[in-house]
Amino acid sequence: MTFQKDIGRDCPRAWEAMPWVIQGGASPTQGAWLNMHLAECQACREEFAQQERLRAALDMPCDLPIDAEAGLARLLARIDEADPQRVTPPRRAFSSSWLARGLVAAVLIQAVGIGVLGIKLNSDRNEHAAAPAYRTLSQDTASAPAGSLRVVPASTMKVADWNALLHEYHLRVAGGPNDVGAYTLVPTEGAQATAQILESLRANPGIRLAEPVSAAP
Amino acid sequence: MSDAENDADATDRMLLQRMSAGDRAALAVMYRGYHGRLCRFLSRLTRRTDIIEEAINDCFWIAWQKAATFQGDSRVSTWIMGIAYRCGLKALRQHGSEPVDEDSISEDRTPAHDPGEDREMRDWLGKGLERLSADQRVVVELVYGIGHSLDDVATIMQCPVGTVKARLFHARVKLRNVLPGLAGEQTINREIVP
Repeated sequence: MTFQKDIGRDCPRAWEAMPWVIQGGASPTQGAWLNMHLAECQACREEFAQQERLRAALDMPCDLPIDAEAGLARLLARIDEADPQRVTPPRRAFSSSWLARGLVAAVLIQAVGIGVLGIKLNSDRNEHAAAPAYRTLSQDTASAPAGSLRVVPASTMKVADWNALLHEYHLRVAGGPNDVGAYTLVPTEGAQATAQILESLRANPGIRLAEPVSAAP
Repeated sequence: MSDAENDADATDRMLLQRMSAGDRAALAVMYRGYHGRLCRFLSRLTRRTDIIEEAINDCFWIAWQKAATFQGDSRVSTWIMGIAYRCGLKALRQHGSEPVDEDSISEDRTPAHDPGEDREMRDWLGKGLERLSADQRVVVELVYGIGHSLDDVATIMQCPVGTVKARLFHARVKLRNVLPGLAGEQTINREIVP
């Protein structure tokens, strides 16, 4: 520190105290002491006066044109912009995520349901397809295989004769006997025409009834 | 701390508490209350109004977000000024701008509507500040302009108290040696001194 106008040993202490006395941060004791020193010291009075002027100059309002209200409006707009980013998007993402998941689940359930229904319908159709052997003559015959025959053997016919008949005409038992003793027979490879088989069966004294399934009994 | 400072700090704490609850009216009150001193404080760092506006905006953006975490170890004003100081330095770095070169702003320092006495004082201050470093100007502003203690300034600038003392000392020596003497033109009323 260089005091060009130092005139006493108390000047450094006065120098230290000046800012705090000027800005009001010094204790009353410190302020009183400085005033006493200033009364006796010309150099410190000049320095103190300059410090006061510095304080007054620095206390002037900012000379730059900066609009507080415009700045506040920008700050509030910034907060408005940031709030949705911080809160709403995650909620939207959460919401849309669950919505998407729900829709996917619904579609899957529908697909599974349709699939099960389709399988069930197909199964029913297969059952219907295999059904002719178990249906009576009064039941619908539309699902019986083509060329199927409904045959009622005589009660006196022996099993051996029945098997021989099936073998002779290349027939296979697909169903039966039902409640009235009717069998459903389907021609196998090498079988004759249905009409010829029917004619032969009807001529057999061991067969009481022989009718094509597709035709009304 | 004086009674007035205690009252001001109590008000600031109340505003900060309301801000932590999302009260924008409290934010507006605090913003308007600090805008003037922040403008002047940051103008010791830069003369670019866009950077000052950005720093103030960032400062209150942080204060708004961190209001609930204010520890109360210092005055609210010290906390705010510290945030503003860091925001100012950050804005300067982002804009690739150096702290204000006082040589380049002496012409535009004085608004056209300034009364003659104010203009004279601003010129006088400008001559002195242009010889100081940015850190020294900030310390001078905080001590003389705003009235912070050495401890407050150290908190604001995040440096040791000894560093603040050194900056203040060197700033005063420079100002004493550079500024024109006041003999015969003293206009300051001694009543300013408490």
